[in-house]
Amino acid sequence: MSKTILIVDDSSSVRSVVGIALKGAGYEVIEACDGKDALSKMTGQKIHLIVSDVNMPNMDGITFVKALKKLPAYKFTPVCMLTTEAGESKMQEGKAAGAKAWIIKPFQPPKLLDVVSKLVG
Amino acid sequence: MSDDSLQIFIDEAEDLLNIAEQALLHLDNLDNEADTLDGINDLFCTFHTIKGAAGLFGLDSIVEFTHVVESVLCKIREGSLTVDEDIVSLFLSSRDHLSNLVENAHSGEQGISGELKIIDDELIGKLDDYLGVSTADEKNNDLTLTATVTEKNTEGVINENWHISLRFGPNVLRNGMDPASFIGYLSNIGELKSVTLVSDAIPQWNDFDPENCYLGFEIVLIAADTNKEAIEEVFEFVQDDCRISILPPHSHIDAYIKMIEELPEEDMRIGDILVACGALTSSEKEDVLNTQDRLTDKVTAGGVEQKVPPLGKVAVEQQVVQQEVVDAALKKQNELKLQRDNSQQTIRVNALKLESLLNLVGELVIGSANAELNARRLADADLNEAMENLLRLVEEVRDTALGLRMVQIGETFNRYKRVVREVSRDTGKDIDLRISGAETELDKTLIEKIGDPLMHLVRNAIDHGIEPSEKRLAVGKPAMGTVNLDAFHDSGSIVIQIKDDGGGLSKEKILNKALEKNLIQENQQLNDQEIYRLIFEAGFSTAEKVSNLSGRGVGMDVVRRNIESLRGHVEIESEEGKGTSISIRLPLTLAIIDGFQVRVGNAQYIVPLDMVDECIELNESLRGKDEQANYVNLRGEILPFMRLSDMFGEKGEKGEMDNKHRDNIVVVKFLGKKAGFVVDELLGEHQTVIKPLGKVFQNLKGISGATILGSGEVAMIIDIPAMVDRVIKSGEKHSILPNEIH
Repeated sequence: MSKTILIVDDSSSVRSVVGIALKGAGYEVIEACDGKDALSKMTGQKIHLIVSDVNMPNMDGITFVKALKKLPAYKFTPVCMLTTEAGESKMQEGKAAGAKAWIIKPFQPPKLLDVVSKLVG
Repeated sequence: MSDDSLQIFIDEAEDLLNIAEQALLHLDNLDNEADTLDGINDLFCTFHTIKGAAGLFGLDSIVEFTHVVESVLCKIREGSLTVDEDIVSLFLSSRDHLSNLVENAHSGEQGISGELKIIDDELIGKLDDYLGVSTADEKNNDLTLTATVTEKNTEGVINENWHISLRFGPNVLRNGMDPASFIGYLSNIGELKSVTLVSDAIPQWNDFDPENCYLGFEIVLIAADTNKEAIEEVFEFVQDDCRISILPPHSHIDAYIKMIEELPEEDMRIGDILVACGALTSSEKEDVLNTQDRLTDKVTAGGVEQKVPPLGKVAVEQQVVQQEVVDAALKKQNELKLQRDNSQQTIRVNALKLESLLNLVGELVIGSANAELNARRLADADLNEAMENLLRLVEEVRDTALGLRMVQIGETFNRYKRVVREVSRDTGKDIDLRISGAETELDKTLIEKIGDPLMHLVRNAIDHGIEPSEKRLAVGKPAMGTVNLDAFHDSGSIVIQIKDDGGGLSKEKILNKALEKNLIQENQQLNDQEIYRLIFEAGFSTAEKVSNLSGRGVGMDVVRRNIESLRGHVEIESEEGKGTSISIRLPLTLAIIDGFQVRVGNAQYIVPLDMVDECIELNESLRGKDEQANYVNLRGEILPFMRLSDMFGEKGEKGEMDNKHRDNIVVVKFLGKKAGFVVDELLGEHQTVIKPLGKVFQNLKGISGATILGSGEVAMIIDIPAMVDRVIKSGEKHSILPNEIH
């Protein structure tokens, strides 16, 4: 069974490209445009990995991870933050919230696939 | 990457660039520190998002450029740089340049070249000045840095056997990390020779927490072409929670000693494991353990150094920091949200899809008109009632569908803030642009097409309308000139108003100029509106000085033509010394209009209803005795008219008065000019779905489009502005002067 990855990003082009790359590598992909949207799309299905942006409207990535950690079904789902070299403090904040993996933006799809395979095999 | 995704990126980048521009212009208006910071944050977010997305597409030029801009913004955010006019201008140019880069990427160019490259270098140079590095230096630094790193790597023993000692922390599973998946990933780097499980940390059953991770591994990896960093990187996501030692084996025995010391298990046990997994031979193990005793002091010292402050304390400290950061972030987020809420609640729809939906709705309207016609003919009460219902629904669907194309004009208005800023800087005039009615909705096509004419009018208002400050003060006006941009609905059309409190139009100057340019005759009687409208004539410009903004006399007639091509028109009101107000009146939509259906011969025509002034019967009392006259006396006013049957070569029924036939004149009014068209029959109102004419018919005079009637027949839509001109011109050939009538 292919693994399911939830991608949370307010940029539709990022979602699109990430989606194409992940689908191409055989993953199932669920897209969400912000934390709120993501939570509403997590309806009990098995999600193997969440790739989430940090800065998003409505609910940013860090608040999202905190909320996620309170959901029994998903609290152990790995979260990979899309962050920047400039966002060191955000990264620490994300780590403290429970998002232990990260990808530094800007990145290209191979890098993403690399990290994903590290996290979910 | 697929073109579709790139297109999404381009669209998104355009939106973001617009937001960036807004943020920048907002900056310019305020000295308020908090607001400025918010603006900078907005700006940072937009540039940042573009950079992130561009990276995905491998658009390096965009990534590099935005990165530099971002760095400068970062400095401002940190407070080590203050915002001044120059920086804002630089950001504005950067935004423009970025827009060009996006455009460049859109056209499929990989890199940048020519002028774009020059601007790129120039802007990066200027931005680097703020960063305190010259471009060359930075690049050199980078180079040396990489050089040393590589050097270090080659220095390290790249042995075939790597030894990796892993002790996963208890929280690894809770964090969603899967130890097996990391170890599995190692096989991407090299060959896993052995993985030995160290399960010593697993406690008694009573103390066992199934959510904790108690696992440790000793791994031997054969990877010739790698270095320590590459292996470390595999575990970068768990390194906070884990003890990881990576050793190139057989190289430094004391490194092993140190590792063994640091591991939680008993030293002897580790030694055995290392032997078991093939990292060390038995004799080597003995060596290690023996040497260890001798080195104890040294190692302990190293061990102490390794000790980390209690995690809890760190966490608490971090927690405190976090709270502040979160609060600040939340505040900024809220401000940003306000701005973004609108765009968030929309769905991006492909314009083509929308277009085809509107076409279908058009067909639906036509189809329902046909059905209605047949239902009436059958005169079945139930069918008619059902038809009524259906028609009402169709009408609602039509209105909703048309509403989909409606866009708020605010965004277009906001673009002019930039124009005003630039123009006022170029002219040295202080201008306050006031915007109202930004939420007024207008067809997207209209908005796109109205942008340029409006821009010209705004520029004109500032350049020619508003007087220099000294002059303004002298006549008792505030030094700062005001330009009002307003949009509102007015009886079925949209009015966009550009109002300035400048010098107003000078009738005398206009008349003199018009005479000079032979636009009017010496003794021609003109009312105010007619005089003002002269400024829209081709080749007209009264500005004494031609500035680089306006005054070349090519603009205003283009403005008028553009607006008229949208079935709109322009009205001017002006008071000398007080100011000018130019109103653009536009139809609500371009797709479906209320039409007035007439019959000429065997064909049916549609006149846009909002241009129909009245309908009168053409009889002798109106026309006078002259059968060939092409004008009538309409309540003391001359009304030139034309027989549509002549114009379109239809077989008219003129003169068949005995046959109970009466000629009717449809009086239309456009831009204050009136003209009449003689038709055979007035058929009444008709919901007209405008179908554009094919390419072949593009140059057809007098017809602006076609529509399909309920009966399935085609009816032509008359191009009233063109026809009114034509009627008036043919009237002039007969050189009727006002005093000839009466």
